Amino acid sequence: MGILSKKFLLLIGLVLLMAVLISIPFFATDYWMTLLVLILIYTVYASGWNLFSGLTGYTNFGLAWFIGVSGYVSSILIADYQWPWIFAWPMGALFISIVSIGVGYILLRIKGVYFAISMVALTEGTRELFGTGYLEPITHGGKGLPFVAGIPLSTLYWSILFLAFVTIFICYKITSSKFGLRLMAIREDEQAAETLGINTTKAKILAFTLSSFLVGLGGAIHCTYQNYIDPNYAFNIQLTLTPIVMTLFGGIGTVFGPVLGATLFTFIHEILWAELTLLYMAIFGGILMALILFFPQGLLGWMKERGILPKIRKI
Amino acid sequence: MTNFLETLIRGLMLGSLYALVGMGLTLVWGVVGIVNIAHGEFVMLGAYFAFWTFSLLHLNPLVSLVLSVPIFFLIGSILHKRMTERLTHAPELSALILTFGMSILIWNLAQFFWTNTYRSVSYLTGNFLFLGLTLAKSKTISFFLALGMTIALFTFLKYSKIGKGIRATSQNSEVALVCGIDTKKMRTLTFGIGIGLAGAAGVIVSLQWVIFPQMGGSYVSKAFAIVVLGGLGNVQGALIGGLIIGVLESLVTQYMSAKMAQILPSLIILIILLLKPTGLFKR
Repeated sequence: MGILSKKFLLLIGLVLLMAVLISIPFFATDYWMTLLVLILIYTVYASGWNLFSGLTGYTNFGLAWFIGVSGYVSSILIADYQWPWIFAWPMGALFISIVSIGVGYILLRIKGVYFAISMVALTEGTRELFGTGYLEPITHGGKGLPFVAGIPLSTLYWSILFLAFVTIFICYKITSSKFGLRLMAIREDEQAAETLGINTTKAKILAFTLSSFLVGLGGAIHCTYQNYIDPNYAFNIQLTLTPIVMTLFGGIGTVFGPVLGATLFTFIHEILWAELTLLYMAIFGGILMALILFFPQGLLGWMKERGILPKIRKI
Repeated sequence: MTNFLETLIRGLMLGSLYALVGMGLTLVWGVVGIVNIAHGEFVMLGAYFAFWTFSLLHLNPLVSLVLSVPIFFLIGSILHKRMTERLTHAPELSALILTFGMSILIWNLAQFFWTNTYRSVSYLTGNFLFLGLTLAKSKTISFFLALGMTIALFTFLKYSKIGKGIRATSQNSEVALVCGIDTKKMRTLTFGIGIGLAGAAGVIVSLQWVIFPQMGGSYVSKAFAIVVLGGLGNVQGALIGGLIIGVLESLVTQYMSAKMAQILPSLIILIILLLKPTGLFKR
């Protein structure tokens, strides 16, 4: 009875939270809506990053590459080919996940720091390439591509809310599945995992592609929300770093850590940006260092250690 | 023909400077096991060091060069002792993100205090005429300074007792420890030497180019390409790699476009990591 009622209460709480989140566009002001949209976008980014890097231990410094390529494909489809957004977004995400299969197949053989560097190199190389004259007929070069998708803010909010729910659900399912266990085995000791009969290459590529699809979908929505895209904006290193900081802040390798991190960090970002615009980036760097030195397990990991939360993988 | 020769020599001069930055990075990476993304920021700090001592104290940049090495060595050793030494046994991701944070912190503080103004040290101007080739004075002098630093580093690593200890730690830290080498001290010294080299490279950079807070990024991306080309922890490889990258950049800028030259480091990193991840040269 005890456990059942606890589960029941949790379910009711979840349904209530969902109802509140879904009904927010009917009463919230535009300021809170934009803030919530940003929180949800970063939740998708952070969870997507955590899904691959948090579980396999391969540091992906190419999140901006996922976002940029998918954002470009969907923006070009909307602006130049007049596709409706509902088809353009999945198309961008599909494109980046297909490219990611190929890239993952080639790059995931590289281990550790080298993988991180090669992903940075890939992002920077693509950014420069999209800005050159060679691709100008398609990407509009370095001057960027402004467009109007004509989506009301509430529709955008519901789409990103839906995506965030799906992302969290997928992460939740994966961490408590055999596939998740395989990925964590790769993180702990890849050679041992291979010896035990895990097809590590397949598992890594699958996780990489899934992560690229979710982040790419988020990136497509992000670019539509901004109504503008250019190489420096879409492939900005900040788009890679912010979700990583959020994940570390909330707790790497956990399901709800990235969600918590994205929510809290977006508020911190708002306050810092408003109060200390010039020093914002310096403080950001300082926070990054402090997290690694003094708080490596993150908020959720800390709560698990203190016994506030149970030590189970599902959280 | 003279045009081509001049481009080639410019490339070698550029390459000697890149090699100085790359050797520091590869040394720290090989011995300490930490990828210092903030390495380029110390080049920037070195350049500003030369600028401020030149404009406020009217110090000759060559004197600042001599001063910069011990100062940056001290900064590096203290940073390592207080901070990065804790991460020697932590996962690679930790050190990577820590130094990334350090890089962001340093260049943004530099931007906050010194603003985005482009500055330069106008110490050596004019050209040398040599066998019908026109060579900028500042670049020629810089080349010989970088060469001198490189020779000093090689002599130190090859013949001095500490140098031998550093090489032993790089080859096998555990066996070195068993043989009575204080590997912890060697790691601290190496980190200091790496930062000292970056600072000295910064002073040399200030002689020939404008300096601004974000300049570190381009040096660190080239240094990464150099480390990947030369092989991790391979100092000789880094020297050759630096010269190759300098010459390639000079040729591509001259005969293709400056934009292509910017893609070059990324392209080299990707190609080498795919084809020969251990680098081009044997240790």
